Amino acid sequence: MEFKEVVGRRRSIRFFEPDKTVEREKVQVILETARLASCAVNAHWLRAIVVERDKIPPEKLSQLKTPVAALALDLAPLHIYFFCDLGVVKRMKGSRLRELVDAGALAPTHGWSHKFVDDFVYPQILEPMTNNLQGYLAAAMADCGGAAQNALLAAFDEGLGACLNTPNPMLTKQVFSVPEDWVSLWVMLVGYPAESWEAGGQRPRPPFEELYFDGDVNTPFKRDPAVVKRLEQAKMIQAPAPLPGRREEIRKLAERLGLPE
Amino acid sequence: MRDYESVGTWLAGLREQWGEEPADVEGRLQTLARFCEFAEREPDALISDCSRAVEGGKRIRIKARRLYSEKIDEFQATLGSDARAQARTGNVIRSFMIHNGIFMQGGVAT
Repeated sequence: MEFKEVVGRRRSIRFFEPDKTVEREKVQVILETARLASCAVNAHWLRAIVVERDKIPPEKLSQLKTPVAALALDLAPLHIYFFCDLGVVKRMKGSRLRELVDAGALAPTHGWSHKFVDDFVYPQILEPMTNNLQGYLAAAMADCGGAAQNALLAAFDEGLGACLNTPNPMLTKQVFSVPEDWVSLWVMLVGYPAESWEAGGQRPRPPFEELYFDGDVNTPFKRDPAVVKRLEQAKMIQAPAPLPGRREEIRKLAERLGLPE
Repeated sequence: MRDYESVGTWLAGLREQWGEEPADVEGRLQTLARFCEFAEREPDALISDCSRAVEGGKRIRIKARRLYSEKIDEFQATLGSDARAQARTGNVIRSFMIHNGIFMQGGVAT
């Protein structure tokens, strides 16, 4: 699938084929894609624990459920629990930044050197940053979000459906016995959609010109209809929800899966 | 049953969601009546038990919601039929709760 169509096709899937297994190779593609996301100071905070729903002991699965996500956890055959490893910066001590210098990604043209990393960036910026938990967590989580978004897109490119949910962070840490400095972020529920891939249509978004600005906050970035048309042809912008037939689809899914309506 | 405010809210919610009142609405009302007898609570009381007024709106009473969720499971288990039919009956009550703003999910019954 072309990139723009992948972006257009991604939407939160909440009806999965509960008994259709997700192939391990597809899971690896999802993780490989997350690993290639942009990451500040090359730290790579995102960790993932992959579990097949049916291999989670029932009492643990129950702990992972929140009131609004219980059903989705039951429906999705595969769960990917994302965590943020806050300990990585102190463990790496700038070594991954030095890797970027060696790779030519950070060059003297832009002021970078090993010495700059060792004498200044790590001790004066990175290490102190880890002591301001609120700021550090915000920065680390932003990068984790980017990696998780990569993972989502990869799932759809592999013909799967996916949806991010937020499990109870304390209970998720307990269930998986992760290190103390890991923060529980999201669970990505993965499976083959039981609903149509359109899932009722592309979900609503705020008006473009309310979100983006041109030079200053008082000047909206004008949305060019010709670009919109090109993106429609590329299937990135698709028919909005609700599509005709969505109600009937939900009703049939409710009947098939034994769900309330 | 239709005289209860919560029942009116439920039926209005179904009409809004599905575009029409369900064809088996009388059967659903009877199921709700049987559940109310089982739980020894009237429909409006089921809903008010599960929520409380706070400044700016309402809050769900989590313990009450859990209690009634379990009551629904118990109720559907008393029916002498297969698991799917039991779930279908329980889902009538869950639908009543959901359309009255009490978030509730049943399990999957395939």
